[in-house]
Amino acid sequence: MPPVTCPDIYMKSSRWLFILIALAAGFGMGLAYGWYVDPVEFFDLTPDTLRADYKADYVLMVAEAYRGEQDPGLAARRLAILGSRSPAAIASEGLVFARENGFADSDIALIQELVTAMQAWSGINP
Amino acid sequence: MRRFPWDILLTLLAGLGLGLAYAWVISPLRVVASDPIALRADFKDQFRSAIAAAFVATSNLPRTEARLSLLGDSDVVEALNSQAQRMIASGEFAQADQLATLAIALENDNVLAVLPTHTSDDAGTIEPESSTIFPQPSEDLPFQLTETPEVFDTPVAETQGVETQAVVLNPTPRPTRTPVPTLGAPFVLIAQDPVCDSTFPEGLLQVVVFNSTRRQVTGAKIIITWENGEDQFFTGLKPEIGNGYADFVMSPNITYTLRLAAGSDIASELIAPTCQNPSGEAFLGGIKLTFQQP
Repeated sequence: MPPVTCPDIYMKSSRWLFILIALAAGFGMGLAYGWYVDPVEFFDLTPDTLRADYKADYVLMVAEAYRGEQDPGLAARRLAILGSRSPAAIASEGLVFARENGFADSDIALIQELVTAMQAWSGINP
Repeated sequence: MRRFPWDILLTLLAGLGLGLAYAWVISPLRVVASDPIALRADFKDQFRSAIAAAFVATSNLPRTEARLSLLGDSDVVEALNSQAQRMIASGEFAQADQLATLAIALENDNVLAVLPTHTSDDAGTIEPESSTIFPQPSEDLPFQLTETPEVFDTPVAETQGVETQAVVLNPTPRPTRTPVPTLGAPFVLIAQDPVCDSTFPEGLLQVVVFNSTRRQVTGAKIIITWENGEDQFFTGLKPEIGNGYADFVMSPNITYTLRLAAGSDIASELIAPTCQNPSGEAFLGGIKLTFQQP
């Protein structure tokens, strides 16, 4: 049996180091690909995951409908699909977005009216 | 001669597989900025209802069409009609009416069928002055995912600059104001036929409603009256027969008058006819009425 020499030990330890580095590099590449290059596509989502502009437009829809129907309960139920917060908070968030993104004045007025109605409906003073 | 480092290559591939498994299965990124097209079917229904309600209130068809396109329905009118049927079946007649109204308006490509529920005082302020136009869902605009899951709870005002840039606000020309309530063109009674078929229930009054493009209209409210009595029923409750079909069982020797709530000719003097089967036996026949929008 040939004697173990220093170069052999050095070769073995460096090889393990390369293997660990390769494992970490592969893991990192997999993460990057799976999170950024080709992330999981989701379906059957809930409305609270909608992009902020779509949420704001939904609030505007509810405000438009509320203007015609004058039914705060129905408006609140419609808003409730956007999350577990109070309808007034959801409508207020839509109002903030609308103001910051240049919605037409008439649209902002509609949402403002909805916010006021939702605040009154939930018992909170405007 | 140095041999090829297969062990290192295999380890790299194993790490890659582990990384993908972690990123796709164990901890996929949470969705924080999805499109309406990715919503669950029942939420799409609610979205559609809100669109229809907004349309009935504002009559803004271009904005409505832009909103509907976000849901990615292959046949928008069909989707509205089928949802209207489901809502009728579940007793939500008001929302079914709104959906059917929108379906009719889309088919006619105008707002003739809209009957706003607000007062004339309100009308001036809901007149659209601008239109919010959203991009069409496309392959080029996949789901927007945050880079870090923590962003999920960040208020909208803080995240919009990073993740939302799709709102394009283009003022649109102010629409011409219609001086009178924009009722749909009245439906015309185009056929009234006695039906002597002993396989049908006795006294069956059948009503079929078509729009101007000869498509059956779902959710049309029908009002039938008789001496000291009135009832209402809707098309679309028997989709296996037709989306625009509805029926009512008449009692013998009672004269009925029927019209569509959306506006139509009045079918009057409706009395279940007396028929004879092949063996000479008398039975109560029915009537079939066909309405169409000109």
